[in-house]
Amino acid sequence: MNTVKTRPAPVPLTAVPARRVRRPAGLICVSAVIAALLAVPLAFLLIEAHRAGWSAVSSQIFRPLSGTLLWNTVRLTVVVTVACAILGTATAWLVERTDLPGRRIWAVLLVVPLAIPDFVVSFGWNSLFLWVHGFQGAVLVMTLAVYPLVYLPVAASLRTADPGQEEVARSLGVGRLATFVRITLGQAKGAILGGCLLVALVLLAEYGAFEMLSYQTFTTEIFTNFNQPSAVPTACALSLILVAISLLVLAGEGWLRGRGRVARSGPMAPRVMPPLRLGRSRIPALAGVLALVLAALGVPIYASVYWIFQGGVPAIGGVSMLDAAWHTALYGVCAAAVDTLLALPVALLAIRHTSAARHFLERTTYLVLAMPGVVIALALTYFTEQYLHSFGYQTAPLLVLCYVIMFFPLALVGVKAAIARAPASLDEVARSLGQRKLAAFSRVTLRLAAPGLIAAFCLVFLEVVTELTATLILVPTGVQTLATQFWSYQTNLSYAQAAPFALVMIGVAALPSIVLGRFFNRSPESLRTGL
Amino acid sequence: MRQLAVSGLHKAFGPHAVLTGLDLDVPAGSFTAILGPSGSGKTTLLRLLAGFDQADAGTITIGQRVVDGPGCHVPPERRRIGYVPQEGGLFPHLTVAGNVGFGLPARQRRGARTDELLAAVGLAGLGGRYPHQLSGGQQQRVALARALAIEPEVVLLDEPFASLDAHMRASVRADVQQICRTAGTTAVLVTHDQDEALSMADRIAVLRDGKIVQYAAPQDVYMRPADPALARFVGDANLLDGKLADGAAVDTILGRLPLEPAAVRSAAGSASGNDLVTVLIRPEQLELVATGLTGDTASGCLPGQVVACEYYGHDAVVRVRPDGEGSGPDFIVRTSGGPQFPVSSHVQVRAHGPVVAWLH
Repeated sequence: MNTVKTRPAPVPLTAVPARRVRRPAGLICVSAVIAALLAVPLAFLLIEAHRAGWSAVSSQIFRPLSGTLLWNTVRLTVVVTVACAILGTATAWLVERTDLPGRRIWAVLLVVPLAIPDFVVSFGWNSLFLWVHGFQGAVLVMTLAVYPLVYLPVAASLRTADPGQEEVARSLGVGRLATFVRITLGQAKGAILGGCLLVALVLLAEYGAFEMLSYQTFTTEIFTNFNQPSAVPTACALSLILVAISLLVLAGEGWLRGRGRVARSGPMAPRVMPPLRLGRSRIPALAGVLALVLAALGVPIYASVYWIFQGGVPAIGGVSMLDAAWHTALYGVCAAAVDTLLALPVALLAIRHTSAARHFLERTTYLVLAMPGVVIALALTYFTEQYLHSFGYQTAPLLVLCYVIMFFPLALVGVKAAIARAPASLDEVARSLGQRKLAAFSRVTLRLAAPGLIAAFCLVFLEVVTELTATLILVPTGVQTLATQFWSYQTNLSYAQAAPFALVMIGVAALPSIVLGRFFNRSPESLRTGL
Repeated sequence: MRQLAVSGLHKAFGPHAVLTGLDLDVPAGSFTAILGPSGSGKTTLLRLLAGFDQADAGTITIGQRVVDGPGCHVPPERRRIGYVPQEGGLFPHLTVAGNVGFGLPARQRRGARTDELLAAVGLAGLGGRYPHQLSGGQQQRVALARALAIEPEVVLLDEPFASLDAHMRASVRADVQQICRTAGTTAVLVTHDQDEALSMADRIAVLRDGKIVQYAAPQDVYMRPADPALARFVGDANLLDGKLADGAAVDTILGRLPLEPAAVRSAAGSASGNDLVTVLIRPEQLELVATGLTGDTASGCLPGQVVACEYYGHDAVVRVRPDGEGSGPDFIVRTSGGPQFPVSSHVQVRAHGPVVAWLH
């Protein structure tokens, strides 16, 4: 394939006509079915709450514990999101716009922490430093674990932003710092907000890291309640609050983003800005980036290696490791393949067809984004218990279905970006050259979209490998994945046994994350417009 | 023999009617331009011809075959229409040879046919390159070769030169025209650029408000436009009020001017028996005469003052305001003696017939 070596010729956006007259009935039907599938957990949750009785649920909502959980969740979300915004934007700016030494290497090292599960970062710090726990510990660990979610889109947007705008600002007599604030940050605003949104949603859904640091949030509380059959109203109430907060975050991001759209007069500027000279600030900047990489990447890896050597060689359980890796990979591949396939018709509809369908689909996707994994897993569990007599509960298909629903929005981002690279007009040219619809689609659109589809696949695979919360609830009886095996050793304080699993997860997840980094480097639009 | 026939074509997008009963016959082997301002429905017409959209009413016939009509819609892949989109629309993941051979049966894709086509468009030896390694003009020629590869009944060119630099446009236009003529292909060019239409086409169909308002040879469209609005759209125009003198002349403020044979047309809604007309005088039909020291006005001349001058090297366009209050709009004069008439100098304007006129 030549797609890696040769960049496709720039395709003007005007080549994608927005209006299409004939209704793509097939696409709409398929997409509607997928949307219905995505809405299933929320529907179950509401049905379950109804069954448990709304008075019971509301009495659970308005008890003092909810206040504590709300305060814990909100303050952590706000502090970590702000910290990630600052850290992510600052590092992205240093790497993309200044003469920081070793920029190419930092660009990779700063993204890799994305591949490390949050609970492994937490394990690394918590097992080495006893003082890392509670609120401060959670802020430290989560910031280190998720700042790449801001770094990635901001770096991409800075790399492709029109340098002409900054030059115009300077020529209008605006100073260097003011230009940075008024133009550069303005250009990156959408990317920063998009990154912050992802950070906030991850924080609302996180279980493992907080459990380890003994920090109580809605998610940890839901998880604790899950095992008690009498606590259905409690779990429903907490889940509803959590979903409501997530929806608020989503709405807030949309509102902040406002009407700000990146308008570009003229074609994409291939020009590269001369990097800003850091001068004497070079050393502190370098030290800062190094410290960040050591804290986010070095500590978890060092901790894993350290505990392996503490335990001695026999600690590495070969068979259980292979078995867990096999199941993780199997579930990951299945979920990633299904998600990529399901996202294809939805992305086609969203990119190439009417705006009404598009809005509807985006709303549905938003609903899923607002459903933390624990809530989706819980809804599926209750459903199988209630209506299928637990048939299917803790089986591989249900677990994969849960992954598919959880990570569909993620797959959609990648597939939409991929489809956007293949303008519909090229399909039409292919048809005018005598190709049938399907042949034109596979010879042109699929070929052009292939790198993006692979990226979407990797994205979902990566998430499945590092998923813990839903996996703990739904993993088939007698099966362990890398994450659950790590978790059970870790819970028993068998750090030496847990550590190899942490290392393998880092290794397995690092490869897709590098592929992803490369893809999003080349098409930054996807991250800006994706969510 | 006609190659492409369109009759009574209607197309609306929701409440917005784009084509309202369009008729057009394109003879085999001709090079026809469809000229219209943006929003006139050019792209819609082209998409209907290619089969990407379906008409609401009317028929399209290619060769002897009805491809779009009541209860019939032939899909694009079975129309044998060579479509050359704006900017070329080359497949970025394929080489030049891969693009040209795209529509050929699988075993012919790598073979003499592709080389032959590349040679025909003057790009022999570039088959291994990728589209982004070509200049804009080369991309257009590859797109044309790709369209010609399927031996199309008609080649559709959708504003193919709009994205090219001005100096390259002329040579690519000439090449494309030459290639189409050599191949003997019927070509339909859609454009909003009147120079392009006038210089390339055998016949021009002017599209306005979803209909063809005039379909004629380029010189007829320019010298004998169907109505005053069309006169303004194709080239610069001076439109004056006049009065019919007899069957063959018209009186204007520039004196009596001869009329073209059968050149008095009635505009829509004209009342018969009226002899008031609108007269078209093209800028190159006007001549500037320097006003002498005495300031006398020669007979048949109108005194005025130069208010603007655009100098083009080979000629100049001078805008002259007639002396006296309310003596009508400024004249646009194309003259080879631009520098002789600086702004605010006094000149006299003289007209040369024959002209065309429309009854009020």
